[in-house]
Amino acid sequence: MADRQTRTPTQVDKTPAEELLDALGPVDRYHDYEYFGDFGMPARAMMEDLVVGATHPGRFGPLDKVHAFWFAGASCDGCSVAVTGGTTPSLESMLLGAHPGIPKVVLHHPVLNMEAGAHYLRPAEQAVLGELDAPYVVILEGSIMDEVAAWRAGGYWSAQGEEPWGPEGELRPVSATEWIARLAPNAAAMMAIGTCATWGGIPAAEGNPTGAMSLMDFLGKDYRSVLGVPVVNVPGCPPIGDNFNETVAAILYFLQGFGPLPEFDELGRPAWLFGETVHRRCVRGAYYEEGAFAQEFGDPECLVEIGCWGPVVNCNITSRGMINHVGGCMNAGGACIGCTMPGFPDKFTPFYKRPPGSLASTTVSRMVGSVIRPLRKFSNNNLNREVRWDRQHATPSAFSRKRPGRRHWPTSVTSSTTRCAARATPRATTLTSGASATRPPAAAAPTPASDPDRSPRRCVSKPSRSSSTRTAPPHCAAASPTRTT
Amino acid sequence: MTIAKPDVALNEVERREGIERLVARNGHIKDLNMDPVTRIAGALAVHVTADLEKGVYLDSHAQATLFRGYEVILMGRDPRDAIFVSSRACGVCGGVHAHAAAYAIESAMGICPPPLGTVVRNMTEAAEMGYDNPLHLYLLAGPDYCEAVIKASNPELWPKAESWPCPNADIHGFKTMAELMTALNPLTGNLYREGLEFTRLSREMVVLLTGKYPHPENVVPGGVSTTLTLQTLNEFHSRLGKIFDYAQRMLAVWDDIPAFFYEADDRYQLVGYLPTNHIDPGYWDDPYAYDATYENCNSWGEKRWSTPGVVIGGELVTTRLTDINIGWEEFVEHSYYDASHTSRYETDPLGNPLSPYHSWNKRTLPKPGARDWKDKYTWACAPRWDRQVVEAGCYSRLLMTAKAQKMPASDFMSATGSSMRLLIPKGETGEREVEWHAPERWNAFERNRGRAYHYLFSQLVALESLLEAYKLMKQGEKRVAALNPTELEKAIPMDERRSVGWWGAGRGWLTHHLVMDKGKITNYQICTPSTINASPRDPWGQPGPYEQAVMNTPIIEDVSDPSKFTSIDMLRGIRSFDPCMPCTTHAYTGDGEVVREVNTCSCGGD
Ligand code: SF4
Ligand code: SF4
Repeated sequence: MADRQTRTPTQVDKTPAEELLDALGPVDRYHDYEYFGDFGMPARAMMEDLVVGATHPGRFGPLDKVHAFWFAGASCDGCSVAVTGGTTPSLESMLLGAHPGIPKVVLHHPVLNMEAGAHYLRPAEQAVLGELDAPYVVILEGSIMDEVAAWRAGGYWSAQGEEPWGPEGELRPVSATEWIARLAPNAAAMMAIGTCATWGGIPAAEGNPTGAMSLMDFLGKDYRSVLGVPVVNVPGCPPIGDNFNETVAAILYFLQGFGPLPEFDELGRPAWLFGETVHRRCVRGAYYEEGAFAQEFGDPECLVEIGCWGPVVNCNITSRGMINHVGGCMNAGGACIGCTMPGFPDKFTPFYKRPPGSLASTTVSRMVGSVIRPLRKFSNNNLNREVRWDRQHATPSAFSRKRPGRRHWPTSVTSSTTRCAARATPRATTLTSGASATRPPAAAAPTPASDPDRSPRRCVSKPSRSSSTRTAPPHCAAASPTRTT
Repeated sequence: MTIAKPDVALNEVERREGIERLVARNGHIKDLNMDPVTRIAGALAVHVTADLEKGVYLDSHAQATLFRGYEVILMGRDPRDAIFVSSRACGVCGGVHAHAAAYAIESAMGICPPPLGTVVRNMTEAAEMGYDNPLHLYLLAGPDYCEAVIKASNPELWPKAESWPCPNADIHGFKTMAELMTALNPLTGNLYREGLEFTRLSREMVVLLTGKYPHPENVVPGGVSTTLTLQTLNEFHSRLGKIFDYAQRMLAVWDDIPAFFYEADDRYQLVGYLPTNHIDPGYWDDPYAYDATYENCNSWGEKRWSTPGVVIGGELVTTRLTDINIGWEEFVEHSYYDASHTSRYETDPLGNPLSPYHSWNKRTLPKPGARDWKDKYTWACAPRWDRQVVEAGCYSRLLMTAKAQKMPASDFMSATGSSMRLLIPKGETGEREVEWHAPERWNAFERNRGRAYHYLFSQLVALESLLEAYKLMKQGEKRVAALNPTELEKAIPMDERRSVGWWGAGRGWLTHHLVMDKGKITNYQICTPSTINASPRDPWGQPGPYEQAVMNTPIIEDVSDPSKFTSIDMLRGIRSFDPCMPCTTHAYTGDGEVVREVNTCSCGGD
């Protein structure tokens, strides 16, 4: 099998999909539904007929209804889980037709549908036969495994149901891969969700025995759907649910005639979602710029030295969040391991190590940062004072640390380096000096010290301004009393 | 009430032949394979032989039908990679695998996370249960009890439901059972939609700490990499408040459903029935007791929020992790493998004897073949404890904790020996104390009820852990990981080490057994709850939990017309286990050769 994995496309004249169909041969027998009766259909109706809330698109567009077949190859179901978390739009609102212009989407998903067993497979059979009542898209989560090799060895890697497709019409497990190969030619669109389906992902990592590959590799570079669309890829391990939901919606808006043509990059990714590196919108970006780098797990600064690959990875999680704009790897303190990338995982391991190429740029930002930081600190301190306070030479705040005989505002650049943050400026701070210095800016909003006795040193803060009107100076890390950068 | 016992006295071959003769002769005996079973995670098929006249399932086989091979990929890799790679074994609860891997690595490398690191892990994992449990109850299992299904397969129940006043109507707001059942309808029902919304809220809580779900980005060997701020804790807190209001309604719903069905027909007590044999390795560590050593695992294990243990025949037989570990064996007689045991390790690190079938001794010699109910029919292996069939579930945590009465002191939770008392803190709804009683009979309804109470249990652990995090923050504690990346790299041992990470998943039991040598992984075995529950017959012919549960299930639906047989009773039974098969992995090479010693024996597969 190893040779099957290392072949280049030029060494074979067929795509893996064509090879599989050649090996399996054509099929012409389908389930005898009389034999099954209602077995596996507890509501005696298909999911489609149960969802009565679904509305028609009304005055929009040519499409009334679209079938969506969801198949899982070598998958962990994480993509399905991510999609159920999405809210723009949410899965249920799409299925219920809650958005003007979205056609009725009939989803065939093993985790959601009411019907089980043979009945679950009926629409897929109809699609293979060309008898489905509406156009269909196929969504694949998980990688495609090399079922040709498995077939030759008398087995399968991953099955999704069984069909009477054995040599004598006996039932045999049908792999997700086989369904994909049979459904792709007549699909309106083929969509790969998650890094396994888009680029092979972890099941395709070095040493894998299954010959796992991406949907793109399986269908070949000449693949076009009946609408002329190549494979659409929404990567991520897991993907952000909304990246997928939004892409589906964007395609539907376009098909219905009111949305712009969604742009895809040369790898089939939605260009408006994956056009930027995740570093560009990282919440820790300014630390990178100022040369402040986390050394311990949990530190608030830029994570590049503890293993972040963000500057060279296409991903939008820092701006979109993981769900409802909450979360995001670096937002929470997780270094980027490049999970959206075709090179994932092998080009990013071992994890928790700084990317080898980052040394040059971090050295430069350390140098630049050592100049910029004090200057910014100075200006920041200045702007943290009312003009009136400057005139009075005082900060009329009870949070202000009293230091008789000392001026309470910076007079020179030198006073604003390591020591100043903790004493001379009305900067945000929390209970303990060490903890305060390592908080990221967003969270280090001015907080009155609620337990001053615990604090080894009284810190200053500004009770008069709420955190919503001003966030804390973002330079505190550089001025950490516990660590000099 | 009679409890149908699967006839295991006959050997498998005779038994199958008898059944085949019956099927050939009688129209009312149906031999059907349900592939795929939907509304579960991953790939599962269930084969049944049903006698519609007698209303019993004569036979059943559970089959895991997917292979991936993550274990092969882990083989020979840096042990640090196990966290991110094994997390991808399951996308329903990836976080639990990441954590189990971290525990295994820490134990092998001898690093112990600082208290705040453990507390953040507990918060994460409790919040993860917060989206796992409602997802199952309302999206996967709930529709089996919804209006559409009842009207179709149990029409006689509908008029009763319409006139049956819900005892908990004042809490959940549904006056009659019929109203409640309508709310369970897929996609359109209010309970379905609300359940989905609450999974989102809990997912937000998870990503506040992990950055990402289902695969967390913050788990590191020796702790977490979460940048913990007061804002993080406050945001977590504000979401948790809403959850307690919701938990009140959830319990009310899942208390009323069994009451209605038991009253309607006594036989519902036998749907999915299994004798009370449960196993669980415990969950959520005491941050001050946990020291990452195998030597002390019995003492830190018993201090977990959820006590480890084994219950056989309703009796608690042990709460010691070492007992749980050394009693563990995995068999492959009915799975597509050659004999897989070795005698590499005869004892555990403390000198306790180990079976050749123990996970540390397990090799995987995959051998695909035709499906044969008498011989091999699944990729899942058959894990057994002390050679007995045991069940795993999140509700097993309640059972162990209740029986053991060893849980840490808490203002919100206490164990009485046969029940758990849980105090729901006030939200918009007032404070209320509820009590979960260990059921006399474990069936589909009790599993679902147990899952609802487990939701509350896990959220109370989230609350306790959050309070601990606030306390540590007040004390100025900020270390979340034991080592920094440089120290971590230096700490990787070069000698041979083995370890086990005991943890839990949304369905209960989770272990990662690790062997490493020269700084590389040489054996990695994951055993997940659905592996245990989906297991096939063992060498003694004892069917696995799903199989037994199906055979114990009476056919209550109306099958006077055999073509109307939907198998809803079996589906209720199977789904009550919350089957989760994604980490089902099977391995073989084209030429049938052994490709690995590392193996993921995961959710239902191997
Ligand atoms: S944490 Fe990563 S993405 Fe963010 S600034 Fe640093 S290198 Fe860039
Ligand atoms: S930041 Fe990196 S690890 Fe996180 S989702 Fe994006 S690509 Fe994946």
